[in-house]
Amino acid sequence: MKLTSLVATAVLLIGTALLVNTVRAEDAAEARQRMIELGKAHKTAESLYLALKERAHGGRRLAPSSMPDWSGVYTRARGGITFDPDQQRGAPPTAKLTPEFQRKLAERIEMANKGIEWDPISTCSPPGHPRWLTEPFLRDFVVTPDQTYLINEMVNDIRRIYTDGRGHIAEEDRLPLYNGDSIGFWDGDKLVIHTNQLQAGIYQRRNPDYTDQVETVEIWQKVNPRLIEVDVWVYDPPALAEPWYTKQSYAKLDDQNKTLRIRYWHCGENQNNTVVETDGGGTQFRDFTFDGQGSGIGDQGSGGKP
Amino acid sequence: MNTLRGSTVVALLLAAASSAWAHHSATMFEQTKTITVEGVVKEFQWTNPHSWLLVDVTDKNGKVTTWGFEAEGPSTLQRAGIRPSEFKAGTRVTMTGRPMKDGRPAAIWVLAVRGDGKKFDPREGFQVK
Repeated sequence: MKLTSLVATAVLLIGTALLVNTVRAEDAAEARQRMIELGKAHKTAESLYLALKERAHGGRRLAPSSMPDWSGVYTRARGGITFDPDQQRGAPPTAKLTPEFQRKLAERIEMANKGIEWDPISTCSPPGHPRWLTEPFLRDFVVTPDQTYLINEMVNDIRRIYTDGRGHIAEEDRLPLYNGDSIGFWDGDKLVIHTNQLQAGIYQRRNPDYTDQVETVEIWQKVNPRLIEVDVWVYDPPALAEPWYTKQSYAKLDDQNKTLRIRYWHCGENQNNTVVETDGGGTQFRDFTFDGQGSGIGDQGSGGKP
Repeated sequence: MNTLRGSTVVALLLAAASSAWAHHSATMFEQTKTITVEGVVKEFQWTNPHSWLLVDVTDKNGKVTTWGFEAEGPSTLQRAGIRPSEFKAGTRVTMTGRPMKDGRPAAIWVLAVRGDGKKFDPREGFQVK
């Protein structure tokens, strides 16, 4: 084959690849916009959840012979510790916030830029949902006919999703919980979840706050043997001017040697990890013990100002 | 004899900010400066949510300072090929890290180069593969 033919072939292949990628990007942008509009079409998370359930004719009950295989060890596929993986590097979070919460976010970022930052999970309290979606450690997901367990290695954090047809706890009996109360149904191979009864928190560092009125709707689906994707709508009227849609994803890790383990965590395992909030709102270590006396397991408290 | 090379240098390793951010803010560490020290491993504290590699560094006057290098916990480090068996006490190592702003001998572990030349980067523990 002549050189000119080789060059022409290469140009054609590269051009095709670029075109395919462009089309995919446009498809993804259109799909995201459709999801945003779907969220905006419903005033509450419950309304969206019920609409999805109606569309699924009530959903199906899993049988042992028809359960999706979500086995394996996963981790967050992209997004670092920003809530929205599609947030551009250096850009602000994609949430449309109310003025009060926009101001709070601006203050948080300004302080962090000055080196002043305190994260409420520094003393090993759970991240809470919806922040739970962002933590970067190992995860596994256990599907059973009536309940699905979504497990994050960090502080042994388990979300239980009831899919046996039960409803939420009666409103007068509710209390704010780190991971809330989650019910769901199966629509084919998609797990649809509604979560309420949540505590206030932050989506992540340099990300907005959410209030204890926050609720979420999620659609989990294993889209290929190595990837689970999740459409997430967050509703929180005091903080969000409109529902915040994001697409989260979790990649199945190569574990051919069977060495990956999800193990119990406690912040007090090593006193060198103990940090405290300073009077100025920053983060600082306590005294280190680098004296060769071991890690000091369990002999210190956590939290409190120095 | 182990030497303290410890001159602070401006680095372009902003990507190193990823280490140690998962449990607490890393604002107590320098964001754009690194130090490099040579020494021998004193102890590897293999713990959650962060592990600490303690390295004894001897300066030109013979004074020994124990430096602590903070990284993620065992499951993440394991994914980066970092295990206690790779850093037994007495192992010679050159450590690069982002030091504490307050001058204490501690840093975020950016890179370890063992005496045999093998490199260990904790950030590889977050790679999806």
